[in-house]
Amino acid sequence: MTLILVVDDEVLYQRLLKVNLEKGGYEVVTAENGEEAVEMVASRHPDLVILDVMMPKLDGISACERIRQFSNVPIIMLTARGEEQDRVRGLNVGADDYVVKPFSAPELMARVQAVLRRAQTADQTTTNRYFIHGNLKIDFARAEVWKDNKPVYLSATEYRLLIQFANHLGQVMTAEDLLAAIWGPQYKDDKEILWVSIARLRQKLEDNPHAPQHIVTRAGLGYLMPPIEKEPAKGE
Amino acid sequence: MSKPSHKPIPVKPTDLYNISRIVTEASDWKTALDQIVRQVRNILIYDNLAVYLALPEHDGLDVMYARTVGRGRSAEADSAWGEELANRVSTEQRIILEEPPQDDSLNRLKRPYLLGIPLLNGHNYLGAIIFVRFGGPSFEADQVALAEFIARQIALLIERQKLEKATIELEAKHKQIQLQEDFVSNISHELRSPLGFIKGYTTTLLRTDTTWDAETQREFLEIIDQETDALQELINNLLDSARLQSGQLQMKFQPIRLNNLLEDIIAHQKLHRPRQVINLQINQPLPAIQGDPLRLSQVFENLLSNAAKYAPHSEVLIKVESDKRGIHILVKDFGPGISKEYLPMMFTRFFRGPDQSTNSHGSGLGLFICKQIIEAHRGQITADSELGQGMVFHIFLPSEH
Repeated sequence: MTLILVVDDEVLYQRLLKVNLEKGGYEVVTAENGEEAVEMVASRHPDLVILDVMMPKLDGISACERIRQFSNVPIIMLTARGEEQDRVRGLNVGADDYVVKPFSAPELMARVQAVLRRAQTADQTTTNRYFIHGNLKIDFARAEVWKDNKPVYLSATEYRLLIQFANHLGQVMTAEDLLAAIWGPQYKDDKEILWVSIARLRQKLEDNPHAPQHIVTRAGLGYLMPPIEKEPAKGE
Repeated sequence: MSKPSHKPIPVKPTDLYNISRIVTEASDWKTALDQIVRQVRNILIYDNLAVYLALPEHDGLDVMYARTVGRGRSAEADSAWGEELANRVSTEQRIILEEPPQDDSLNRLKRPYLLGIPLLNGHNYLGAIIFVRFGGPSFEADQVALAEFIARQIALLIERQKLEKATIELEAKHKQIQLQEDFVSNISHELRSPLGFIKGYTTTLLRTDTTWDAETQREFLEIIDQETDALQELINNLLDSARLQSGQLQMKFQPIRLNNLLEDIIAHQKLHRPRQVINLQINQPLPAIQGDPLRLSQVFENLLSNAAKYAPHSEVLIKVESDKRGIHILVKDFGPGISKEYLPMMFTRFFRGPDQSTNSHGSGLGLFICKQIIEAHRGQITADSELGQGMVFHIFLPSEH
């Protein structure tokens, strides 16, 4: 049965979405904030997420961003009328569609069916909560990094940089690409901050920062995380 | 008394460092100038010093700072302060030296040597600084350079002070705008959210592709009914609050018996919220007071509705006592209460408790309106609570004089 995760901090909206979706023949689980939502996407592997934008703890936009780091599950955002900015931000961080509150039940059902139909024709939904690279493990759902089963504390920028490498395993990325992706296009010539950040990442992640295994320099080209021959899987 | 030497000591780098340090540490330019003057007394000999600032509104200068040392002191107001030179410096915006004709028969005070320097910050003209030496000697090139250095530093300080003032003003404006924006976004959320439920649950019931059992239908209709009431209450509160703000809400005062009023309110509440237990204790007799029965009812209804909302399983105690001054009313619930730190803000417009933003509706207007109504009766309302200890409201209404 198709499983839908409904995320809203207001009980009455949870109930409204749940009864309508269940009548439509879907199985429904609920979460009441972004953190719970990310956790549940990782643990329950839903086929669709309906995500409210305005929520305490982690808001819908940030939750969507976090989910997209490890899952391509279809996401419908619930936004308030007039908040065009929210809709644009939602779509920019990887939402598939949005429904504007107040909405009618038939409209919601139609959107859900349309998004699910599109998802079926596209690739299979994949949710990989963990990424493992040698002695390194990333837990996308919790935004945590482990080295030799010990937690490593990264700054937000360092984490985003690492995710960038992990999501482009085996691809060489130029300094300009990395700078534009992490710091923004206006920083693309600011190579020194990238050098410092990579040096700091290596200090934290590499056994020997001068002979890196995880983030490797390709002189004159850029940087990459090299593919690693499968070791016996750890901790998954 | 030693005669001030007119052989100045040469300028050393440490003098410049010290001036620079004074400038960076100073909070206002006049204090800084006092310190600089002391610092350079032996290097840059002068009798009078005056700072003229350009007036922003019209052409012209105003003297903002003046000091005299040595021979200037005996002369005071009638000695030279370089006003005319200041005007010339101001028009020509360059350093000007003025020397008197050589005539030793004249009193030294009548033979001022003047040095005028524009106060410039970049190309921004701020005013002029004037140094006066009575009876000479002439200002040497390195002294002029030092004076110019000081003038630049002072100009920087003046500009910095202006910017600091402008920043404070802007921040205050920004804060005001922020409050207004918070209000708009809060109110639009509060209006939208009952509308969203009404729309959502109505269209759910209207779905043509399915049916709902009687119990579910009833549940949805109750939600719609409650949300309609919430919307109604919010709109009433908004209108009242706007009228109270603009002083358009007229109180219709008449003699009232508070015990009758409270009994009516409680009877009405029983119909509306049958589960709420209200315990009324009145220490008779109560004096009659002047009040608007409708508005006072509104206050008590609001407090009872708050109790039902935030302490749903608690009974409510209403205790009424009187003394010579008037009537004291206590309204207490035994619910979760609120942390003491929030008490001072409870009666301000749009304030909502820290944990009340989700799953309970409210505009943050109710208690503001209560306070306005009680104050229109020349009374007082205060709140007291501790987390986990319930919520207490004290109301005082003065008796007739």
